Amino acid sequence: MKKLRVTVEGKAYEVLVEILDEGTQTAAPMPVASAPVASAPVASAPVSTSAAAPVAAPAAPKGASGPGDITSPLAGKLVSVDVKVGQAVEEGAQVATVEAMKMNTYIYAPKAGKVASILVNPGDGVEEGTVLLRLA
Amino acid sequence: MAISPDLLKQLEEKRKVAYAAGGADKLAERKKKGLMSARERLEAFFQPGTFMEFGLHAQHSCHDFGLADKSFPGDGVITGIGYVDGRPVAAFSQDFTVGGGALGKTHAKKICDLLEYAQKAGMPVVGINDSGGARIQEGDDALSGYGQVFFRNVLLSGVVPQISIIAGPCAGGAAYSPALTDFIIMTKTNAQMFICGPEVIKASTGQTVTMDEIGSAAAHAAISGNIHFVAENEKHALEIARKLFSFLPSNNIMDPPHRPTPTISLEPDPEMNTLVPEDPKAPLDVLKVINRLVDDGDFLEVMKEFAKNIVVGFARIQGMVVGIIANQPAVKAGTLDIDSSDKGARFIRFCNVFNIPIVTLVDVPGFMPGVAQERGGIIRHGAKMLFAYAAATVPKITIIMRKAYGGAYLAMCSADMGADLVFAWPTAEIAVMGADGAVKVLFKREIAAAAEPKKKEKELAAEYREKFASPYEAAGKAMITDVIEPSQTRGMVAMAIRNTIAKRETRPPKKHGNIPL
Repeated sequence: MKKLRVTVEGKAYEVLVEILDEGTQTAAPMPVASAPVASAPVASAPVSTSAAAPVAAPAAPKGASGPGDITSPLAGKLVSVDVKVGQAVEEGAQVATVEAMKMNTYIYAPKAGKVASILVNPGDGVEEGTVLLRLA
Repeated sequence: MAISPDLLKQLEEKRKVAYAAGGADKLAERKKKGLMSARERLEAFFQPGTFMEFGLHAQHSCHDFGLADKSFPGDGVITGIGYVDGRPVAAFSQDFTVGGGALGKTHAKKICDLLEYAQKAGMPVVGINDSGGARIQEGDDALSGYGQVFFRNVLLSGVVPQISIIAGPCAGGAAYSPALTDFIIMTKTNAQMFICGPEVIKASTGQTVTMDEIGSAAAHAAISGNIHFVAENEKHALEIARKLFSFLPSNNIMDPPHRPTPTISLEPDPEMNTLVPEDPKAPLDVLKVINRLVDDGDFLEVMKEFAKNIVVGFARIQGMVVGIIANQPAVKAGTLDIDSSDKGARFIRFCNVFNIPIVTLVDVPGFMPGVAQERGGIIRHGAKMLFAYAAATVPKITIIMRKAYGGAYLAMCSADMGADLVFAWPTAEIAVMGADGAVKVLFKREIAAAAEPKKKEKELAAEYREKFASPYEAAGKAMITDVIEPSQTRGMVAMAIRNTIAKRETRPPKKHGNIPL
């Protein structure tokens, strides 16, 4: 399994890619002595990654970014991040405030967790889908 | 001489065969899965003992592909009339145990006959969809059957309410009959609706997708906006349909089932005042306002999961049935965007054809800005709201709670768009645009020339806000009916509906308007 980040139209998605013929690849470096045997799996490597790519792409438009990412539901200006790094939050707790269209929009934690990182600062402009913070 | 006992016996036998549907095995298998049979669904829907069946003995007439000797009791669909809350309702229920509930010529004829009867008799229609699709053996007869059903769905549209329940597969062309009806209720599990399934999508585009992502109730409720209600199971779906009927007239020349109270209570509701935040930037949860506005907090929300920045649904206010359209400032600042405009406009048009007064609750900062909105056609979609309101001739009562800005205010039924009565709360802000934006345009030079442009801009904005961020500028020009306390809203809206209920408005004769679609 490989973890990749794919950006589609400005939105970052984390996808897990399973390389199906990984077996031959990992087997490749083992026979150190015989070069011709090792070269064959090397040549097959680009094939396996390109085969994996179409698997990864359709996963992206599901709309979810990485697990634990909390995104802005609309474009606007970040008023405040209402939690601190390391803080434990309950599901439904207010975690950030974005101002747009003369109105504050509160952003709530979709699930319980611990704030792992905050990616934006008050005053920043945010787009719809911008990752504001991550829960661990 | 009495009738020959043999004839009676023969009838009894024939009935038995028909009631056995796809056979005891298939019915038992269904039961094991926790599913109701097609007949049980109708029995659960109607008042006991009121069902009158059409075409119990109907059979297919196909001789090809080994069907000649095959019997399909009722041809895979049960049709008839029964009573709901004392009112007759036409219904059909597709029987998955009979040839997969597939639609053939006779199956389609039964549905068409029922629809025609419902149109003549002015009664609503419920269709319970649970079908594998077209009966392929019947070829173009099946295709033609779908066409005939669609045609009648359209004839009935706006004449009698049509409700579709999706309680099984509903794929390909079959999905268009429900799509032509007024409301779609879909069960959370065991129901799929799609035009092209995952395999066809994979084969023709290479995209990998699961059935749940494209065809489940969850996907249709929140993403595609194709359905109006999600039901826990079949029983719940039938309950929702009955609840829906409790707000609807049987047809377009009847009034909805109002239950007017002998007197109108003008008793203020102080709780309503507490729902309005002091800070104009703090969102107000319009669902809480609706909950206090309507009788017993009984609000049947339509399309709850889709475009949540607008809330639509049915309720009664002091006994009078109303359709409510409200901005939801807690979601996307309550802006109107492509999806919320589509959702609102369709609901307004439903209310109008079935004589349901419209109550509009306004807290709208504008249309949603953004490249995706502009390129997606927000002009065309937003225009649907303007068109639907202006074209509606039912009583239209508008309450401006807070923001009422620009074109979006007009799209929420201002007096200009034909609102009969408009009330504003003291927190209302009625203006062509926000103060900050307005002064930038109005005083561009003054601001640039000022010693401290930022400070000047702020001063001017405050001045503009003072003038327009209140209902009194509009009230002073007699653009609204009155300014009321939030606590007075329920009493005032009830009185407004009673006063307007006998409204008659005639429009120039035409085939139909040309709503931007």
